[in-house]
Amino acid sequence: MRATDNQGSFLNRISIRRNQVVSMDGNHEQELEDLELFQKYVADRFSDLLSSSSDEAADSLLSVSWLRKLVDVFLCCEAEFKAVLIMGRDPSQVSKPPLDRLVPEFLDRVVKALDVCNAVSHGVESVRHYQKLAEIAVSAFEQRPIGDGQVRRAKKALNSLMLTLEEKEGSNHKSAERAWSFGRRGATNKDRAAAGQFRSLSWNMAKGWSAAKQIQAMSANLVAPRGAESSGLASPVYIMSTVTLFVMWALVAAIPCQERNGLSTHFPVPRQLGWAQSMVALQEKIAEEWKKKKEKTRLAGLLEETQKLERLGQSLIEFADSFHFPAEAARLDEMASQVSELADTCKKMEEGLVPLQQQIREVFHRLVRSRTEVLNVLDQVGKVSAPTM
Amino acid sequence: METNLPENSPSCGREDTEAVFDANPSSDQTDRLPKENVGEDDRNVDDEEIVQGEVTASSGPVSDPHLEYLKISENIDEFLSSLPSNTDDDNENENVVPVQIPHELIETFLDHLVEAKLSKLEGAAQWGDPDEDLSFLEAVHRISNLTKSLRQLKLDSHGSQIFNRIGGIHQRAMSFLEEEFRFLLEESRTTESDTKGRQDQHLQMESESTGDMINFPGYPDDVVSSMNKMAKEMISGGYESECFQVYMAARSNELEESLHKQLGFEKHSIDEVQRMQWESLEREIATWIKAFKQCATLYFSGEKTLAEAVFSDHPSISASLFGNLTRGVLIQLLDFAEGVAMTKQRSAEKLFKFLDMYENLRDLMPSMESLFEGECGDDLKTEINLARCRLGETAILMFCDLENSIKFDTGKTPVPGGAVHPLTRYSMNYLKYACEYKDTLEQVFREHSKIERADSIDRPQYLEDETQSLNNQNETQSRSPFSAQLMRVMELLDSNLEGKAKLYKDVALSNIFMMNNGRYILQKIKGSAEIHGLMGDTWCRKRSSDMRQYHKNYQRETWNKLLGCLNHEGLNVNGKVVKPVLKERFKSFNQMFDEIHKTQSTWVVSDEQLQSELRVSISAVVIPAYRSFLGRFSQYLQAGRQTEKYVKFQPEDIEDCIDKLFEGNPASTARKRP
Repeated sequence: MRATDNQGSFLNRISIRRNQVVSMDGNHEQELEDLELFQKYVADRFSDLLSSSSDEAADSLLSVSWLRKLVDVFLCCEAEFKAVLIMGRDPSQVSKPPLDRLVPEFLDRVVKALDVCNAVSHGVESVRHYQKLAEIAVSAFEQRPIGDGQVRRAKKALNSLMLTLEEKEGSNHKSAERAWSFGRRGATNKDRAAAGQFRSLSWNMAKGWSAAKQIQAMSANLVAPRGAESSGLASPVYIMSTVTLFVMWALVAAIPCQERNGLSTHFPVPRQLGWAQSMVALQEKIAEEWKKKKEKTRLAGLLEETQKLERLGQSLIEFADSFHFPAEAARLDEMASQVSELADTCKKMEEGLVPLQQQIREVFHRLVRSRTEVLNVLDQVGKVSAPTM
Repeated sequence: METNLPENSPSCGREDTEAVFDANPSSDQTDRLPKENVGEDDRNVDDEEIVQGEVTASSGPVSDPHLEYLKISENIDEFLSSLPSNTDDDNENENVVPVQIPHELIETFLDHLVEAKLSKLEGAAQWGDPDEDLSFLEAVHRISNLTKSLRQLKLDSHGSQIFNRIGGIHQRAMSFLEEEFRFLLEESRTTESDTKGRQDQHLQMESESTGDMINFPGYPDDVVSSMNKMAKEMISGGYESECFQVYMAARSNELEESLHKQLGFEKHSIDEVQRMQWESLEREIATWIKAFKQCATLYFSGEKTLAEAVFSDHPSISASLFGNLTRGVLIQLLDFAEGVAMTKQRSAEKLFKFLDMYENLRDLMPSMESLFEGECGDDLKTEINLARCRLGETAILMFCDLENSIKFDTGKTPVPGGAVHPLTRYSMNYLKYACEYKDTLEQVFREHSKIERADSIDRPQYLEDETQSLNNQNETQSRSPFSAQLMRVMELLDSNLEGKAKLYKDVALSNIFMMNNGRYILQKIKGSAEIHGLMGDTWCRKRSSDMRQYHKNYQRETWNKLLGCLNHEGLNVNGKVVKPVLKERFKSFNQMFDEIHKTQSTWVVSDEQLQSELRVSISAVVIPAYRSFLGRFSQYLQAGRQTEKYVKFQPEDIEDCIDKLFEGNPASTARKRP
């Protein structure tokens, strides 16, 4: 699942061909072919994503494993894009209109995407925290015979989970009152106690940073190239910008992020563009989910597993509330099936969250690297004579 | 995460059961973990009734609640030892006759624990009475063992009730421990002012260099030992998740607060860093350098020591907790470095800040290397190196930007008087400062330009460069990439200056310009051992000889013509001096010298040595020639009017005038002495 395996990629082909073609001038036809290949590549990858998202089985939309696929797609598209934009290309192309404007705009989006990556990475940390709380409940509920102690332990963890899920963004976890405590410390150290216990472990972003605004800013000036521009390099820059925007947007929608109020659900992607169709379809599905969620419950993100934790957690809290020792067998069975579902969900999270976080970090480093490479190309254009050192 | 439960689970045996009959409390030490591990065939559970009877009986006469409690605890331990080992396979347990639970014993124990200990502690008592704490922890341990052991058994309905009660109390005790654990973590650190005070008194010498908290994270030893015991009980009671969560939350909170409050490190998004004014960014960089140092040398190691001390029985757990904790802080710090590396700050003084950051990351790596172990550690080391690479690459770009400044300095206005060009000053001062970071720049160029070459797909000319450098290996082998870069800059500067020299219409002035700039460059290079070392003696010798050439050219351009007037040839015709020619010679000498003086005293040679060298060499050719010319031919002019008209200068006047050359003054006309 390594994104760096560019299997079925045309990257190699391009590099071979580029090496053969000494002069880049007058190769407009070839360039057109490259662009077409790139569009097709993007279209195919997103159509894969779309079809796998409707699979009920493994990678349903917005599940951890689906997000991992999404990030993978991003990494692959990014590699292809770089090949199209800069590999072996005459650097002066990048400095001519309209690219002299589009490329810096693109790089600006990349910088914003980096912050989104960091925010999402922190968010994944929060989701791991949800998972840990759910796991406590699972382990308590799985004990037999089950008694008041186990139920109380599970309930305490689940209450914390619910509070954490509904935590106000940017509130610095102060609102997460402890579900259950002896109260001694609580009375003397109100702040600590409130912030304490199951305070989520995420490292927040800078004060005032807003995921929604960042996404908004990324979509500024994002206009599909028209006329002659659409057959030039402006087109892949636009495509990659859109891919970046979409992937960052989807991550922000799925994973809790600092300040998502007013996250847009609309993208300025013209649906008549062939490569964009699957992406638009996915975007609509996710936007639908986003709108469905109530403001309060939206905060934890649309991640499928998180939503499961929420649903099962709620139901198990109800079980705990009405629990009397000894438990009735029928109720116990019902609980057990929910617990096993919760356990499955935790397992998926356990397997997927850390790799997802690593992938996001990989995206971060890749974006930094590519940005540097593009800047180097721009730099070379700036120099009168090319060879450095 | 895995828990290491005590493996020596209680097992049963006739001897143990018999010990119960011994009513003497002092006969056997209360053993929290019965070590006996007796054969399993020998299970005997028929004595339970007697056990109960014994307890009821003994609770009467023992009036001291403490002794009574000890007795009960002991009995509980006995009971635990009497139970079948729960490490057996389950099938066998199924067939075993159900264990009779010593209900009353357990009830009494629970009552005691709850009434005497838990409630008291939950109420108002402070954690910290060592005896009390220890006995509480022991009680909790018994409860945990009871829970674990009874879970293995088939219980009748009464037994289930008891088990339920045990479970409830176990949970309550664990929650209490959790609460206490958090309290200790959050509230029992020696506060900063305490630490400072103590430093002032005892540790003034040691702390002088840092002035920072030397005692991080600052928990007194007894607190750490309490936390260790609590953690141990929570883990053995199956509440390890709660324990880790509390630990992580408290410590990450604390770390972040320290970073923010004590070190003043503010979070900035990368986007924000790009838009920051240099002045603010400079401040943030200084804070970052301090914060990073503090983390690498103090905070992280303190965190590691703490985790190892609190979770001393679980090295893998402490490693993973430590890894997760530091990762958060470290990535945050590194992201700032990445953000800074991305900014477009291209000027000398900024380069040096970048190099400061680079050096910080480089120099602190060894101390972090020993902290980070395993896969997680490798990951963090990679992150640190990546950030360092970014800074290095940016530093290279910034340094190479000097090339652009030189190339694009194509102004068409010559510097008045052939003085040192601002570009020369700028470039040389840049290089002089840069070379104060010589070793770091050497490293940066060596390591990070290589990385670019290796993995970059977008710079085909690098490949060309490489083949080229292979061809020129002999020449370039001894050169480090940095000194090659430096050489390149000097060459560029030279050719740029040559271009600028051509802007002067006067060839002599061109040469003065080249001399001025060349001298400036040489002085700067000789003034800095680092650059001198990098450029090498050969280069300096070459430059000096160029300088001599410019000097000669100048001399020829300006003074050879003048000396032509003093040529004796053509003045003597058939042994007679031709007066008109002589007069003409004097006239043109005067005129020419006047002109030279007028022009060249506006020229600028600010280097005193060069100025005096020039004057001396001019005097050396002009004055003797003039003196001898004058000595030989002035007699042919009529004294008085004619001499006054043609001999405008005495040799001393010439010398005075020469001494006024190159001062950059708007010259007055040369005057002979009054």
